[in-house]
Amino acid sequence: MSNVLEAKSVSVAFGGLLAVNSVDFTIPRRSVVSLIGPNGAGKTTFFNVLTGLYKPSAGTIDYEGRDITDLPPHKIASIGIARTFQNIRLFGLMTAEENLMVAMHSRLKSGITSTILRTPKQRREEQGAEDRAQELLDYVGLGKWTYEFARNLSYGDQRRLEVARALALEPKVLLLDEPTAGMNPQESQVFIDFVKRLVAERDISIMLIEHDMKVVMSVSERVTVLDQGEKIAEGTPEQIKSNKRVIEAYLGKSKESK
Amino acid sequence: MSAVAEVQKFKGTPGQIRRQRIERIGAITITLILAIWILVNIINSPQQFAQVAVLGLRNGLLYALIALGYTLVYGIIELINFAHGDLFMLSAVFSSYFITVWFKQDESNPAGWLTFISCLFAVMVFGAVINVLIERLAYRRLRNAPKLAPLITAVGMSFLLNFIGLKWNGSTPRQWPTVIPDNDIVIAGVEISMITILLFVVGIPLLLGLNYIVNETKNGKAMRATAQDKDAATLMGINVNKTIAFTFAIGGAMAGAAGLLYQQSIGTTNYNLGFQLGLIAFTSAVLGGIGNLWGAVVGALLIGLIQGLNDGLPIAFGQQWSQSVVFTILIIILVFKPAGLLGKVTTEKV
Amino acid sequence: MSTKVTKPNNVARSNRKWIIGYSIAGGILFAIYQFLLPWEGLPLGIYDAVYRWMPPAAVNESLVYVIMALGLNIVVGYAGLLDLGYVAFWAIGGYCAGWFMSEFFYFLNIHFFGSVAAQAPGIHINFWMVLIIGGFVCALFGVLIGAPTLRLKSDYLALVTLGFGEIIPQVFFNGENFFGYNISNGTKGIVQVDPIPIGVKNLGPFDFGWKLLIFILLTVIMVFISLRLRRGRLGRAWLAIREDELAASMMGVPLMRTKLASYAVGAFAGGLGGVAFATHVNGVYAERFNFAISIFLLAMVVLGGMGNVWGVILGAFILSWVNGNGLSAFGAFYNERFGTDVDFASFTFLLFGLVLILMMLFKREGLLPESRLKMVLHVEELDEAESSTGKKK
Repeated sequence: MSNVLEAKSVSVAFGGLLAVNSVDFTIPRRSVVSLIGPNGAGKTTFFNVLTGLYKPSAGTIDYEGRDITDLPPHKIASIGIARTFQNIRLFGLMTAEENLMVAMHSRLKSGITSTILRTPKQRREEQGAEDRAQELLDYVGLGKWTYEFARNLSYGDQRRLEVARALALEPKVLLLDEPTAGMNPQESQVFIDFVKRLVAERDISIMLIEHDMKVVMSVSERVTVLDQGEKIAEGTPEQIKSNKRVIEAYLGKSKESK
Repeated sequence: MSAVAEVQKFKGTPGQIRRQRIERIGAITITLILAIWILVNIINSPQQFAQVAVLGLRNGLLYALIALGYTLVYGIIELINFAHGDLFMLSAVFSSYFITVWFKQDESNPAGWLTFISCLFAVMVFGAVINVLIERLAYRRLRNAPKLAPLITAVGMSFLLNFIGLKWNGSTPRQWPTVIPDNDIVIAGVEISMITILLFVVGIPLLLGLNYIVNETKNGKAMRATAQDKDAATLMGINVNKTIAFTFAIGGAMAGAAGLLYQQSIGTTNYNLGFQLGLIAFTSAVLGGIGNLWGAVVGALLIGLIQGLNDGLPIAFGQQWSQSVVFTILIIILVFKPAGLLGKVTTEKV
Repeated sequence: MSTKVTKPNNVARSNRKWIIGYSIAGGILFAIYQFLLPWEGLPLGIYDAVYRWMPPAAVNESLVYVIMALGLNIVVGYAGLLDLGYVAFWAIGGYCAGWFMSEFFYFLNIHFFGSVAAQAPGIHINFWMVLIIGGFVCALFGVLIGAPTLRLKSDYLALVTLGFGEIIPQVFFNGENFFGYNISNGTKGIVQVDPIPIGVKNLGPFDFGWKLLIFILLTVIMVFISLRLRRGRLGRAWLAIREDELAASMMGVPLMRTKLASYAVGAFAGGLGGVAFATHVNGVYAERFNFAISIFLLAMVVLGGMGNVWGVILGAFILSWVNGNGLSAFGAFYNERFGTDVDFASFTFLLFGLVLILMMLFKREGLLPESRLKMVLHVEELDEAESSTGKKK
């Protein structure tokens, strides 16, 4: 299977409003793809459908060849589709380590009895989880904040923690919702390098929703453009840059057309 | 075929279709059971049925007045004001003191009726003032706090008002004379008391008045705007604090009126009243669709009817199960159709 | 490159301090009731003072409330679910004791390490086993109640739990004729339950000291369960749900299952408390179970600090003592002193109402805040300040 995720003819209607209109979207294995479009184009809605938060009004979503359209969000997360949020949604009152360990919930197996009794198996499992959390934190450069409350971290570190938490799900697909919002150009560049490194080192595909065109152009293999819920263009960054429809969608039409 | 039409034809994912089917079967089953029960009782004892039904509807009107307070407040700040039922109870106690103790009216005569009318105004002011005070002192500070905090405060406030009722009314129920004339009129073999007529005569204009305020006045429009989107309302120049206070005021006034009507029609006051009737009223609001004013009225009439039938008919669970019946209805609605009869389902935006 | 960060152990140290503190307190209480009070050489003044302000019966009853508050703490304090109907579990636990440890089912004769003579009619199962049975029956009901309702928003959930807190006791209240069966003796209640066997003897109504120890043991069990679960993946899942349910589910936490688990474990404590209480008052009386108790328990958890077992123990002990014995003792004292006739016991509702309101307004994290909780109840206010329409507070 060359595509790890396939969305076919997905539509999302809220009452009479069609937020997403029959969109086809695929995420190839070990790729970086982006979804862009003017505000209100339906990007985040589509995003939420992929993670199971909204159910599509039409269409299907396949993951690794399996139909996941009906699955609840936590199941989708546990089989390998992870996401970050536009407004950071960390568990502020839990430490960085605990945030990651929450994401490992579906991987850990200890039940109520073994937790209460702290069986050797449970203790080993917990230790393993702590070790994995520390590894991930080191990987994203937050190694010394393991026991700090997430709320106390700087904005940039919080963004990194969110990514680390998503990675703790051991995902095949990582969905990043406006990951460079609020970053300056240097921070964005660091982020770009990080994304490239992720895809090179792990069996993972990344999908971004982004407004920062520099980031989109320099990191994506393929760019998809949504406008008013419809897919209006898809191709390499070069192709999209010079696509007339895309330019019109962002800047508005130069002449009034009826 | 256009995309929109295609979407509208599409019923939903298999999981959604299954769920809709279950809901539909459940709704039909419940309606059938209710219909059969009602029919059995009509055939069994038509006279009694009509009698009990009228009583039930009358109670429903009372519940509607209280339910409106719940639904208005929930609609605007998404808080179940647990203390609202106890406000109704205090209003009932207030009315009893006003009419019987302070103005010493205990018979049905012009002086009594005049006192009744002045009490109506007084108790509505009483209810409005107390409700606004509660909001100002306790709820306003917690408006932006996580859900748990204002909920717990509301529960505490309910206890507080309960205590005031306990001290004011005493720990045992008290009986009060009424200034409403005693006679009945008979329509189609059904006895309708003056009390019932009075309730409709006072209650319906109140509901219409509320409807007018909410839909036609500037304050009402401000209320509806704030209920939909607080931030947007502020940006439009609406004073959110004043609007919320206004909402509490009219909700409290309705509860006040209900207190007076209850006290004069049933004739007893009990510090426990708020809990019992409060839950019934809130169930009515939820049944009709929380946030929807007409829903609250429809829901209340329905609940009043069902409860009246259950309490009064020979083939029913009987009065000692009254609370449980109403609660079970509440639970069933919330589990299967949380939007209620007239409400809309909202999805959380991420 | 891996960094070595030392894991802070302040939580472990703090726990140890509390364990030592409470153990000492428990030991002192036991010594007072088991050895000091029965001593003939005890000056009458001290005897009277102890019996007036802290009679052993009141202390034991307070411990029952502590046990249940610890259960509610798991639901409200850890998982953040507002349960206003906890009294239902207390009732079910009590009636488990009434069914399996008395002559209620007089037409049967089942004995299983019971503490009464073999000829006695009814079901007589060993107290310690009934504790477990009661706990698990309650846990089962927790799941039954939670399954349809835990999907609801917090406000609706609160209301529905209140509903169950009304219905279930009402079932027992009317239980003399429940579709033809007598399941509870209705308002008459089940009048005598078997005594607690502790190997060498059966505990009678005046063995306050030993009963105190047993109730302390039950408290210890609940504390143990709470702390262990809190450390593991279930506790983390609960905290995550309490903070941001949506994010938790998107990180793989199954919401329904996790919430049900909190109900089940919380309800288990209700079972323990119910059985314990039945042996304490030697019977099961329907009118004891009313919705106000659910609110009392909530106030105890709120006062102590939601999620902090040590605070909840303190809060539960204080409030249940004040409600049970303190108010009337203080009232008698005050009235004697000043020649007044104030009925202090009737101020219960005022007390609990004020506790809930004032704590929420001024000290939401409780008397002994779990250090992190200080922030959970203020989180959204901070966000509000950062939002564009910065409102004045």
